[in-house]
Amino acid sequence: MAAETAVLKRKGSITASLFWLSAGWLVVALVATGFLLSDLYSRALDTSLSDTLDFHLESLAGAVLESGDPTSNAISLADPRFDRPRSGWYWAIRDANGTLYNLSTSVVGIDLPVMMGPPDALGRRTAVMEDAFGTNMRVVERTITLAPNTYQVVVTGNLSEILQLVEEFRGQAFVVLGAVGVMLAIMSAIVARIAMRPIARLSHSIEAVRSGESGAVTGTYPVEIAPLAEEVNELLRSNTQIIERARNQVGNLAHGLKTPIAVLRNEAGARQGALADVVLAQTDKMSGLVSTYLDRARLAARTAVVGKRADPATVLLRLTRVMGKIHPKVDVRYDSPEGAVPWFRGDEADLEEITGNLLDNACKWSRGEVRVRLGSEQGETATSLLIRIEDNGAGLSEEDAQKVLRRGVRLDEKTPGSGLGLDIVKELVDVYGGSLQLKRSTLGGLLAELRLPTVRATSAAKG
Amino acid sequence: MRILVVEDDTSLNRQLKDALTDAGYAVDVAFDGEEGHYLGETEPYDAVVLDIGLPQMDGLSVLESWRRQGKTMPVLLLTARDRWSDKVQGIDAGADDYVAKPFHMEEVLARLRALVRRAAGLASNEITAGAVRLDVRSGRVTVDGQAVKLTSHELRLLSYLMHHKGKVISRTELTEHLYDQDFDRDSNTIEVFVGRLRKKLPEDCIQTVRGLGYQIAED
Repeated sequence: MAAETAVLKRKGSITASLFWLSAGWLVVALVATGFLLSDLYSRALDTSLSDTLDFHLESLAGAVLESGDPTSNAISLADPRFDRPRSGWYWAIRDANGTLYNLSTSVVGIDLPVMMGPPDALGRRTAVMEDAFGTNMRVVERTITLAPNTYQVVVTGNLSEILQLVEEFRGQAFVVLGAVGVMLAIMSAIVARIAMRPIARLSHSIEAVRSGESGAVTGTYPVEIAPLAEEVNELLRSNTQIIERARNQVGNLAHGLKTPIAVLRNEAGARQGALADVVLAQTDKMSGLVSTYLDRARLAARTAVVGKRADPATVLLRLTRVMGKIHPKVDVRYDSPEGAVPWFRGDEADLEEITGNLLDNACKWSRGEVRVRLGSEQGETATSLLIRIEDNGAGLSEEDAQKVLRRGVRLDEKTPGSGLGLDIVKELVDVYGGSLQLKRSTLGGLLAELRLPTVRATSAAKG
Repeated sequence: MRILVVEDDTSLNRQLKDALTDAGYAVDVAFDGEEGHYLGETEPYDAVVLDIGLPQMDGLSVLESWRRQGKTMPVLLLTARDRWSDKVQGIDAGADDYVAKPFHMEEVLARLRALVRRAAGLASNEITAGAVRLDVRSGRVTVDGQAVKLTSHELRLLSYLMHHKGKVISRTELTEHLYDQDFDRDSNTIEVFVGRLRKKLPEDCIQTVRGLGYQIAED
C-alpha cells in the first residue's frame, strides 16, 4: 500500500490547463481577426476612393471636351473638398510640357506632380504620392485630345484621411475584440469548472463509501466519467470478495480443526494417565490458538470492509429474544428508544458479536434481571450510539473492572483463550473507534456502557 | 429418556453416544442430515443433539423442517461456528440451546439435562416423589435419605416416570423412550423392570393404572 501511495502525485490542474489552452487560442484568434478586419476595411475604403477619383476624372474630361476650352471657368467639380486649400483633393488640366490651363481652388502653394511611365489600358496613370504638406494622395491622370492639342487631366484624393480612418477602426476593433476575448475567457473558465463538477461529485461519493455511509458509488454521471465510477464499484466489489474469501478460508480451516480437537479432548478426558494429561493440555492450547487466530483473522478482514451499517434496534431485539431462550430464568428487558436512533456504522455481525457477548455475560452473572437500553449521544463532532446493558448480579469491583478493561493490552499479547468473551468485544470496539465502560448498575450488578460510531442521520434515512 | 445424536464425525458421534449412555440415556445415532431428519420425524425423542455441519442436509434445515412439522422436542445445537450471528441463526431456526466446539462433554450433558428438565416443566435438578428423591445430575436415588442402588435400566425407567410425575405413562410410551431403536422391544421387559423397581422403592410409589400404564403420583 505504501508503495502505491508513493506513486500517486498531484501535478497540474485540468481546469487550469483547459482555461489557459482556450485563453491562448482566443488571444491568437482575436488578434488575427482584428488585423484581418482592418485590412479588409482599408481595402474597401481604398477601392471606394479609386472609384470616386475615376468618377471625378471622367467628369472633368467630359467638361473639357464639352466646353472645347481647357481654360474655361465652367470647368469645375461639385465636390466642395476641391475648393478647400491643402485638402489633398486637387485637380488640374495641363499639357505634356507642364503648362497649366486650369486648377481646382484647393491647389494653393503646391505643384501637382508630373507622372511618368506608360498609361494603362484605359489610358490612365495612377500613383500614390505626397504633397508639399506631407499629405498622402492617390493620383489619377488621363490624357484627352482636343484637336490639335492633347491635354492631361489630373485628379487627386486624400489617402491620409483613409489611413486615419483605418487606424481609428483598428483601435475600436481591438477594444471590442478585447472585451469579447475577456468574456470568452470567463466563459471558458466557467465551462471548465462545470465540466469538472461530476468529478467532484464522484470524489464525494467515493469519500462516502470510505467513511462507511454507503456501500457503493452512487449517482448519475456523464458518459465520460460513468465508466470510472463503475470501475470503482467493481474494485470495491472484488475487494469485498477477496476479503470474504480470505475470511471464509481462515474460518473453514479454524472451524474444521474444532471437531478433531473436540474428539481428542473428549477421548483424553475419558481416560487417566500421563498421555491423557498431555493430550488434554495440548488440545486446550490448540483450541485457544484456533479461537484467537480466528478472532484475529476476523478483525484483520474487518478493518478493510467499508460501507456497512446495521440497525441497532433490530440487533438488540433479536438478541433479547435469543437470550430469553438460552437463559430462560433471566428476565431480559429491552427498552426501545423513544425517537429514531442512528444506525451503527459497521458490520451487523460485529454489532451482534459485541452486544451478544455483553448480554450473555450479563445473563450469566445476573440474579434474574437484565436490562438493555438503546439511545444516542450527541458528542462534539459526531453522534454516537449508546447501548447500556446492566444486570442485578454481584457486579465487579472497581479494581476488577479496570483489570478487565486494561488499556493497551491487545488480543495478540494475551494468553489465548483467557477471559469471558470480553477480549473480542474490546478488540471490536477498538477497531470501530468506540468505547466500553464498566460501572456499577442501579440494579446492583454491572453496567456495561457501550459507545459506537454511527452513520450520519441523512444517509441512515435513505434506507 | 431417549436422545438422538446427529453428528457426522464418527469419533465424536461415538464419544457422545458413550457419554450419554453412561449418563443413563437411551441413545440413537445418525451420521448425516437425512438419516437424522428421518429418525427425528418418526421416533419420539426427549431431546436431540444436532450438529450444524452435516452431509446431505445441513443441521439448520433439518431443524427447521422438524419445527414446521410441529416437532417440539428440545434441540441442542452443536457447531464450530460460535459467533453470535451464528447462534442467533440457530436459535431462530428453532434450537433451544447451543454448544460451541470444541466443548467439554460435561457441558453438553449439563445443557441437555437442563433442556429435558425444562421440557418437563421442572425447575430444579432434584425431583422428589414422596420419600423418593432423584438427583438428575448424578443419577443418585435416595429413599428417606438412604441411597438406593439401581441398574441403568431401572434408573432410566424411574427417571422418565419422575420427569412426568402425575401423568399416566403407557407401556408403549415407556418402551419408546427408554430403549434405543436397536433394543429388542418386548413390552414384558417393562413389567419386569417395574417389578424390580417396586422392590427397591416404597410400595405405593409406582402405581399401576389398569389398561393404561404406570404413574408416579404428584405429592
